[in-house]
Order: sequence, then C-alpha cells, then structure tokens
Amino acid sequence: METAYASATQPSRDPMVPLFAAGARAMVPWLAGVVPFGLVIGVSVARADIPAAAGWLTGPAIYSGSAQIATIEMLDDGAAPAVIVATALIINLRLVLYSGAIAACWRGTPRWWQITASYLLVDPSFVVGMDGYQRHNRRDLGHRYYLGGAIVLWFAWLTALAVGVTLGAQLPSELRLELVIPLYLVGEVVGRLDDRATRRAAGTASVVAVLALTAPLQLGILLAIITGLGAALTVREVPR
Amino acid sequence: MTAWIVIALAGLGSYLFRISMVLLVERVRLPDQVERASAFVAPAAFMALATSGLAASAAGADITQAIPLVAAVAVAIITVRHTGRPYLAVVVGMPTLWLLTWAVGAS
Repeated sequence: METAYASATQPSRDPMVPLFAAGARAMVPWLAGVVPFGLVIGVSVARADIPAAAGWLTGPAIYSGSAQIATIEMLDDGAAPAVIVATALIINLRLVLYSGAIAACWRGTPRWWQITASYLLVDPSFVVGMDGYQRHNRRDLGHRYYLGGAIVLWFAWLTALAVGVTLGAQLPSELRLELVIPLYLVGEVVGRLDDRATRRAAGTASVVAVLALTAPLQLGILLAIITGLGAALTVREVPR
Repeated sequence: MTAWIVIALAGLGSYLFRISMVLLVERVRLPDQVERASAFVAPAAFMALATSGLAASAAGADITQAIPLVAAVAVAIITVRHTGRPYLAVVVGMPTLWLLTWAVGAS
C-alpha cells in the first residue's frame, strides 16, 4: 500500500519527459523571431479585405509564414485563386526537401505519428528536430525532442497570429528581432562545418541566396538549397 | 467563399509536401545520391535562410545600420568557432547589434 501510495505521489521519472522539455527549450530562441513575425502577419490579416477568421486560418492550414503572407496579400489584391495557390505551393516547395531529410528518422514509425509529425514540419521544427535526432542515438528520444519543440512552436505561432489579428499591435522595430533567427542559424551551421562537403553546401547556398534575393515568389531560398546540395555532392566521398 | 477555398487548397498542398517523402520512403528506396544529399539539406537550408534574412535586412539599410549588422554576424561567427556553442551566436550577436546601433547613432 505504501509503495503504491509513494509511486502515485512521486513525480514521473519517465526519461522521455525531460526530452520533450528540452525540445521545447530549444525552440525558445526561435520564438523571439517567430512570434513578432506571427504578430505582423496577424496585423496584415486585420488590414486585408478578407474575413479575419479566414486570415487566421492560414496559420493552422498552411502553417508557413512566407506562404501565409503571399496568400493573404494576393487574396487582398484580388489575384486569381489558382495563381494564389500555385504561389503558396512554390514557396513551400522546400518542405519536400525537409520531408526527405527527416523521413529517415521517421521510417517505420506508426502512421499516426507520421501524419501528426509531418503536419508540424516547418523551418524551425525541422531545425530543432534534426538537431535532436543528431544528438540522440535512439530515435524515440529524438521523437520526443522534435515533438516538444514543434508543439511549442505551433501554439506560439497560432497565438501570435490571433493577437496580431485581434489587437493589430505594433512591433518594437528598434529591437530588430527579425535578426534573431538568421543569427541563430549562422551559429548552428558554423558549429558544424566539420567536413568539406558541408562547408561547400553551406557556402554555395549562402552565395546563391544573396544573388537570388530578388527572385520572384521567394524562389531564391529553394534555388539556394538545391544549388548547395548539388555543390556538396561534387565532393568525392572519402572511403572509410 | 473563395478565400476559404484558396486557403484550404494551399494548406492541403503544403501538407502533402510535408508528408510526401515520409510516405514515399516507406515504399520506394531513394537513390543513394538523394540519401547522401539529405545530409546536407540542413546546412544548405540554414545558410540559405540565414543569408537571405541578413541580406534582406542589409539591403534596405544605410551604412549606420549595416555596420552593426555585419559586426554582429562577425562576432557571432567568431564566438561560436571559439566556444563550439551555437546558441552564443544569438546571446552575443544581438547585444552587439544593439550596442553598435546605439553607438553609431550617438556618434
């Protein structure tokens, strides 16, 4: 009886719980840049000539800031529906690459996991998730890490959109919080430039991203990623 | 009604992109080159996103805004290279940006 009582009152020692929290913590630096971004999109919804609820729905439906902005702006401008959908999908083409990169980590997992985890896949959750899988040898540990970060991001994103739509709040632009994410990404890559192929992938992607800065439909990022991958593959593998 | 349909279609397409390779990897074996390339998606994507974000910010900036930005990135890179701790890029970079923005503006 005592044992049962003790086990019922003691906190859980499930080793998975700290990993979920660790993933959530790893998402925090992203939130400093993502939340203001969500607020801005929310404000743009409030000002656009579309139903506020429909604008907010871009969050849970499309769940990608760049594509959401394009959709809202083009709906407001009265663009043809097919053009709007095509534009959003072109901007989100990079998600196929993310899907391909993380697919190996989710191979053999239950279908419900693949359906749920895929829905949450976007730039920040991909970054945090891949980091988690690289840190942990067991994939189930990486799953918890991914889920912790992805769920925090999802709630923060939808909340920021709702606040932006409702209040139309202005951002403190002097803080330049939009630069938190680029700096964070630079730190992540600089710490991992161990081999020549990785350096070539990162360097080429950087150059192409700058050169293609004014490319239409935000194709520059997709182009930079593909070019970076091509450049990395030109490096001959060293036999082990 | 059009707005709702457009958003639903864009959302559905985006979701299919997200789950596409996850489902395909169960049925088809990706070519070795694709498997190998997937290891480089993260560094390529991270740097593409980072560089485009920084470049977009610098493109619309005058010299007093560009100098603090470039300096902040340089300090972030040096710090991470020396410490091996990626999060310090933000911890050190953002205060550097704020401090230099204030200093350049005050001078």
